[in-house]
Amino acid sequence: MSSFGFGLITAAVLAIATVGFTMQFAVTNVLNLAYGSVMINSAFVSYYLNVHGVTAWVSLVGGVFTGSVVSWALNRFIFTPFQRRNLAPITVVIVALGVDLVGTFGLQAIVGGGYVSFRQSPGSEYHFLGMILSGLQLVILAICAVVLGLVHWVLKYTRLGKAMRATSANPNLARNSGVKVQRVISTTWLISGALCGLAGTVLAMNTGVFEATSAQLYIVLLLAAMFLGGPGEPYGAMFGALTIGLATEISAAYFSPQYKEVIAFLALLGMLTFRPYGIFGSEKTN
Amino acid sequence: MGAWAFYLTTIIVYGAVDAMACMALNVEFGFAGISNFGFIIFQSAGAYAAAVLSMPPAATSNGGFQQYVLGWNLPWPFPWIGAAIVGGLLALPFVFLVGKRLRGDFAAVGLLVSAVLLNVLVKDFVPLLNGDAGISIVPAPFQSIWNPQALGYQFAYGGVAVVLTVLVYFLFRRLTESPYGRSLRAMRDNDVVADSLGKNLRLQRTTTLVVGGMVAGLSGAILVGFISLWAPGAWGYAETIVLFAAIILGGAGNHKGAILGALLVPLGFEEITRFLPPVANPTLVPALEWVAIGLLIILFLWFRPEGILPERRRILSGAPASALAPVPSGKDTDALIQLGNLDELNFRKLLRLEETANDHRVILSTQGLTKIFHGVTVVSDVSIEVRQGRLTGLIGPNGAGKSTTLAMLAGTLASSGGRIFYEGRDITDVPSNQRANLGLVRTFQLASEFKKLTVLENLVSAIPKQSGDSFWGAMRGRRHWGREDKENIERAMEMLGGFGLTQYADAYAGGLSGGQRRLVEIMRALLAEPKVLLLDEPMAGVHPRLAHKIGDQLTRLCEAGMTVLMVEHELSIMDAFCDPVIVLAEGKVLAQGTMADLRANLEVVEAYLVG
Repeated sequence: MSSFGFGLITAAVLAIATVGFTMQFAVTNVLNLAYGSVMINSAFVSYYLNVHGVTAWVSLVGGVFTGSVVSWALNRFIFTPFQRRNLAPITVVIVALGVDLVGTFGLQAIVGGGYVSFRQSPGSEYHFLGMILSGLQLVILAICAVVLGLVHWVLKYTRLGKAMRATSANPNLARNSGVKVQRVISTTWLISGALCGLAGTVLAMNTGVFEATSAQLYIVLLLAAMFLGGPGEPYGAMFGALTIGLATEISAAYFSPQYKEVIAFLALLGMLTFRPYGIFGSEKTN
Repeated sequence: MGAWAFYLTTIIVYGAVDAMACMALNVEFGFAGISNFGFIIFQSAGAYAAAVLSMPPAATSNGGFQQYVLGWNLPWPFPWIGAAIVGGLLALPFVFLVGKRLRGDFAAVGLLVSAVLLNVLVKDFVPLLNGDAGISIVPAPFQSIWNPQALGYQFAYGGVAVVLTVLVYFLFRRLTESPYGRSLRAMRDNDVVADSLGKNLRLQRTTTLVVGGMVAGLSGAILVGFISLWAPGAWGYAETIVLFAAIILGGAGNHKGAILGALLVPLGFEEITRFLPPVANPTLVPALEWVAIGLLIILFLWFRPEGILPERRRILSGAPASALAPVPSGKDTDALIQLGNLDELNFRKLLRLEETANDHRVILSTQGLTKIFHGVTVVSDVSIEVRQGRLTGLIGPNGAGKSTTLAMLAGTLASSGGRIFYEGRDITDVPSNQRANLGLVRTFQLASEFKKLTVLENLVSAIPKQSGDSFWGAMRGRRHWGREDKENIERAMEMLGGFGLTQYADAYAGGLSGGQRRLVEIMRALLAEPKVLLLDEPMAGVHPRLAHKIGDQLTRLCEAGMTVLMVEHELSIMDAFCDPVIVLAEGKVLAQGTMADLRANLEVVEAYLVG
């Protein structure tokens, strides 16, 4: 049961990250493989605020802000200009890989290769339903729940959410129907970037120690969760993240922790092979 | 002197290995359009295979301090051959990822993730290949009779590596400069269209990955025989990005560009660090190298996406004057009509139509054909018949399901229900490329030219049954397919003359005006030698006078035995050429008959013809 608790934390953080990742794919059709590098950069900004005397929870806001602004800038100054050239989607993915290298190793060049950790005690332990969670983890869970609720509210009940869904379904039709597509895209990248920054920072807090390349392989979990729920589907992302998060931690408990990512890999390859549009999805028109 | 000579041999071997790897990845990425983000696993699989094939059994080797499988103790060249075979076989599990349905970028991340997964597995599962520590003291070829540390040995090793690299270069050239190479590039430019013209995408991609994997495996074998150790740290997934950077820099789709890129990026970056002064922070230099590689990718893709040595334009027409035709504008379409001698074309001969009398039998039909997208029924229970030798029209308002019906007939879209019959045979489950080979060929509503193929290449690529259009056909060389290809080029030139586009024969199709690209598509579909031609709004963007000329020709083609089903908005075209005409509205067949009948049918008039 304790692995279920770990799984819940992993899943909650992964859900935040995947929702942001899938929203970027939904509105701009970009598989932003630089996502992990934005996460870790946000975590480091937050960490530096923390070591300079800001409390961890306030510095978290710094991480969120960094993720938001950096993601927006990436889309505005790199991905959008490339997409305007009508290139194959793969070109933009390769560009994203280049950005990932610059982001990750640029950070490493600045901060060095050592491990760091937040000045934040994990808090006292809480036992319930057979799970053991630290105070820190409970707060993380609460934040994730609130944020996912907010995402749900925005998507479902606001004009912005409607415009996002319209843009995702068919940008041209949305534009012709009076949706200000560029603004929707910019806003989406600001929001999804905030989710990215949040996920990166709480991931770093939860892991304890981290360094510049710590998030490099996180993209695999992200991709697995996204493809499980269907690319571009925020609710699918939540479902996928829950499944992958729980599956990796529980399999780690029952088999070997070394291979805990393997189940995510297998899920991803299986989805790509048999149902590339997600468990609930169907192929797109056009 | 001595140290420098050894250094030189190292550079030669590394350069050869990198050049081989880059050429192989370039054939996959630059020619066939497969973004193999997991390329490095093919090279490392070859390195491991060569290592364990040449090493003695693990238990007896040095008291068994390292664990590994096989240990066959084979003499050279068998470990290298084994490495190539393993590299090629490794491609097979990925065939499902690069199969025809999956988006290129999705397949790419699948390959990327596979590379990460295999690295993790090899690292953590020690009995397989000694885990994270990797395999060391791999024997060098002939080390029992020739000291591998001797300068002569090192130069000989470098020489063999260079000779093999040159051989690979010629092998790849033979492949890519053949009709098969043309098909690979067509697939790269637009895989859905290549599929609709009868190209077997799965087979083409599998072949490319196997050949690329074999060369990658061989390059790994050469490397491991030289440095005598191989560990997971050497083949992280990011190493593939370095090779991509090399190809983007050197020039994708150009073998020499790949070699140049290999010398500049992997080799250059490796070597330049030797000459940097020592820095206090040990991670700083490698980190900055990665930053530089990332920047190189981004900057080159922005400022010079074609690379230092761009892909070469293939001049096939043999007419150098036309080689540099100006990028035409839409205005001269009118002039083209004067230029073309469409009326003089002997289509029967050009398209190899059989001399048979038209019997107007039902050649293509559907029963209850249905398509549902996201729960929305786009085509509902459509049953139609297309008769041989007729020019059947398909009309209806926007969203009536015309293009969807056509796509299901051609197999581009899978149907959700109902059956399709062609020549009395149920073809509902026959893949689209096989339907094309049976004579059921379609055109597309949206631009579908192969952009980086010349107009002439676009046309020739569609001609079926080319003897050089298979891997083994290509390997047999120009002597095998050259004469036939020349005839095919002549046929395509004749067609171009008919449509007045001779002067653009050697221009990239992507540079033509919209109307001209429609013509290229029609010509290309005709050269695919269809029995039934499915046209999706072929006249859109074509000058009305030319449209009517084409209509005349289609009528003549039908008289000569071809069958045409045409989706068209322009009613004057329907009036003039199509009989019968089928009307679709809201996914259902509303009416069918001659245009005169339909005009008399009040329901049709209300649904479509008015307003």
